[in-house]
Amino acid sequence: MAAVLQAVRARLRRLLGTDENGTVMKIRRRNQFNNFIWKSLPIIRLILLVAGYAWMLAIPLPNLGRKTYIDENALQPGQVNTYWNWPDVLRADRYLADLEGLRDRNASSAEQAAYIVDEFKKLGIPSATQAYSFTGTSGVSNGTNAYAIHSSPRASGAEAILISASRISRTGDLNLRGISTVISLAAYLKGSSLWAKDLIFVISDDHLLGMQAWITSYHGSEQSGLVADPLTLSSGVIWTALNIDYPGHSFSHLGVFFEGLNGRLPNQDLINSFGLISVYTGGVPILLYDHRDPREVPHLESKLSIIPSWLPEIVKKQDAVKEYGFRAKNILRHVGYQARGQTSGVHGLLHRFRIDAITLFAVPATGPHGFHAIGRIIESTLRTMNNLLERLHASFFFYLLVLPSTFLKIGTYLPSVILVSVSMMFTGLGEWVDARWYQPKQSSIEEKAANGQAKSEAIPRPRPVLKALSIVLLTHLAGIALFYLRTLSLASGSETMSLLLFFLMASVPLIALTAHPSPPQAVAPLSKTLKAFNLCFASTVISVTSVLNFSLAAALAVSLGVPLSYSSPSRSSLGIKLAGYTIYAVLGFGWLVLCRKEVQEAIWNWEVLGAWFALFVCIIYSPLVLQAAIVSVLPP
Amino acid sequence: MDFGLVYPALVAGRLLLAFAPLPDALKHDHQLSSPLTSYPRLQEGVYLFQHGIDPYSGGLFRHSPLLLSLFSTALPLNKFTSACLWTACDAISAWALVKIWRARQRVSQSSRDSLIAAIYLLNPYLLLPTLALSTSTIENMLFLLSLMFASQGQSSPSLLALALLVQLSLPSAIFIVPMILLLLSDPVSRLASPREFNTYLSSILAKLGLWWYFFTEMFDHFRPFFLMVFSAHLLIYVLPVCLKFQHDILYATYILAGVYATFKPYPTLSDPGLFISLISLFPETYQYLRYPIVTTLLHLHSALLLPLFHHLWLSQGTGNANFFYASTLVFGVSNGAALLDAIWAGLRIAVGNLPEGYELIQK
Repeated sequence: MAAVLQAVRARLRRLLGTDENGTVMKIRRRNQFNNFIWKSLPIIRLILLVAGYAWMLAIPLPNLGRKTYIDENALQPGQVNTYWNWPDVLRADRYLADLEGLRDRNASSAEQAAYIVDEFKKLGIPSATQAYSFTGTSGVSNGTNAYAIHSSPRASGAEAILISASRISRTGDLNLRGISTVISLAAYLKGSSLWAKDLIFVISDDHLLGMQAWITSYHGSEQSGLVADPLTLSSGVIWTALNIDYPGHSFSHLGVFFEGLNGRLPNQDLINSFGLISVYTGGVPILLYDHRDPREVPHLESKLSIIPSWLPEIVKKQDAVKEYGFRAKNILRHVGYQARGQTSGVHGLLHRFRIDAITLFAVPATGPHGFHAIGRIIESTLRTMNNLLERLHASFFFYLLVLPSTFLKIGTYLPSVILVSVSMMFTGLGEWVDARWYQPKQSSIEEKAANGQAKSEAIPRPRPVLKALSIVLLTHLAGIALFYLRTLSLASGSETMSLLLFFLMASVPLIALTAHPSPPQAVAPLSKTLKAFNLCFASTVISVTSVLNFSLAAALAVSLGVPLSYSSPSRSSLGIKLAGYTIYAVLGFGWLVLCRKEVQEAIWNWEVLGAWFALFVCIIYSPLVLQAAIVSVLPP
Repeated sequence: MDFGLVYPALVAGRLLLAFAPLPDALKHDHQLSSPLTSYPRLQEGVYLFQHGIDPYSGGLFRHSPLLLSLFSTALPLNKFTSACLWTACDAISAWALVKIWRARQRVSQSSRDSLIAAIYLLNPYLLLPTLALSTSTIENMLFLLSLMFASQGQSSPSLLALALLVQLSLPSAIFIVPMILLLLSDPVSRLASPREFNTYLSSILAKLGLWWYFFTEMFDHFRPFFLMVFSAHLLIYVLPVCLKFQHDILYATYILAGVYATFKPYPTLSDPGLFISLISLFPETYQYLRYPIVTTLLHLHSALLLPLFHHLWLSQGTGNANFFYASTLVFGVSNGAALLDAIWAGLRIAVGNLPEGYELIQK
């Protein structure tokens, strides 16, 4: 018995490493573990990268996600009786006729604003115009907004709800019916005394510029280049807003546009309440953006679906595949807006001031609905928004709407990007550790045989940290210079300037071709250290942006993941080196030449709306690719 | 590069930066200055005092009476004087750091002087709080002055600076013991000196949390107890660190600066900034730091996430306090990792280079 206990104790001691042999075993086990991790690092990196990309592709899978629900109990959507009826529709038709008359006479927007203010005054609602002028690198734009404020009859007016319509719809047509709806709503809504919040009606000029002038004046924030009259009428704090976009004659569905600037999304409760009200009170089905489900319109399926036509019929016929295609189409549209930090409608300009806002787009069709349906839906939605006692905070701010009533929570889509970022981090750390050790080559095989088990000694060597850091800093400074040069007014719209900038940015770093390789046993190669810093920094950028703007992080992960992880200084000829370098140069700066319209839009967004995308690409994205390009031309 | 050229150039650059039109939001940023060091509060206190109202009665003004008396009588606070004064404080701190290095190496000048001055003056953790006019710059200057005089063996100026420092910021009392010990010894590096190892290296587990979140969750009648615990927590590091590094007290002060940065009640970015700048005094430890790149990456992540989550919580309104708390925890972890690296390196250096076939373990 005692012997058994002794044996067990000895074994435990060995296992825990608390005796002499145990210490040796502990060291050996530790070394084995470290070697295993080190040897399998390339596989681990690859697995993480593949897993991340596979997860991204899996996001649109059918049956993922849950049905949207109302989280803020105060909202109570769809519980009110609506009294908007045909007399109000008639009134809206009259306003529409007047506006069409103005359009046929080619009246200026100032005339239209004057007409609208006149109509509001006839209704007894205080209203005024606001003239504004914006001077930017793409020219001067003027306009006039018209707005009216109906004070709540019984409450103090500390909060307000904003209902707006812009003069130009998102399709580029005049938003005549949207404006008529708003004026007619004003006439109808002022008849009831149950409003707890002030109602502000804004008919803004142009598509986005007018509302930008109005909302920044309302909140007293200054903006360079934008000169706007101060607002003569004021009201309370705006909590929620609705923008009406109704360019066509009739509509079959109401589309929801919700992305804001710089990837900001409104509280999901607003979209959910509107969705419920539209379906159950108004009888109008809702859509995400203007995407109709291809399964509902089989005769338009080939036009609407994004599933490639070269797939075999038997695959395309599956309902799961069709659903995947529809979800993917919605997600791609969303990513298109959010990654560029662009707003998908006028509502996006309001998010900056903590206003939850969406745009209702009446999808043009010969379909059954018109003023009657949209008026009832908006009335009921406004009644719901009226119920709020505090700002919307309960529901999600970070979500991915895949179907009009199905969404993904952040935990379902965020880890995909994080996996890619972790893989890049591991690559960077691996390069860093690898740079420290110099492995002298074995002189001959027989020496190896003679030494038996001896492995070649790895000699530690210092790493050129300061040099690599200064290269990183220089690339980012070059990015700042690029941004400054590209946003100069003489560069806007000029093709030669873009080409010039591209060649400038792509050719200056070729100085690295002249760098002499340093003796490998004295100091680590600069290319390894630079690659380590490049990958670690890129990984940090992707992780940090993923919480702020997931689509941008996903775009970065896709565009930077593989190119940066597998950049390597090549030992082959100059020709191959230059070929590799060209690929990186095109990846990093090709957008200057290939996507000029996009660049113009991004710069406009930066100047007028304050969207960060242009700045981000110049200062963060391009320098990162440039660093990888420099790694590929440095001596190994 | 010649110190006589680099140093004035850096100071001139800093002066230009201080006079540049900077966004006012810097002064109110919560990572750059705390309620104890904020410039708008200092201005408020001076104004109240000059109008005959007790500035300490409202709970708004928490600076030391020394600063109050200085800025209400001798030095008026306006844009010009504050820019000059804060740049001067940083310049003096950098110069003191260089003097400490020279005293440690027992030379009158060396080639690393410019690098040390640059590391202090260009460190973003120190640059940004100075631009935000946080009084932590003055505290850092007093600390470095005290350390410099102690390295040179001048006890009166050293203790005077230390006394002023403790007046400005009470948690600095942890530096009293090591400063006195430093005055009694000399600052030459003895980290690598052979000495007897009669204790095994023990791994240090530091529980890192941040005061404010902890205290928001706590019941009121436990507050005095936890206040005592958190304050005493700082003090318990003094003796062990001084005992362990009694052969090189300057290193002990460096470790305690790290402890101060991690555990003090109202940390700002300038405290880890001071700790990181002090690392330039100990280049012999660089090759023995355990995982410097991990620490650097942790600091990079937390430095980016802190303002992001702060913005998400308080400006944009789409996040909540937990986001920010998580990032402060990451910041605490990164400070702790830097501390662990420094302590490990300071002890590991005594073992020196391991001959082939030998391994070092911790038991």
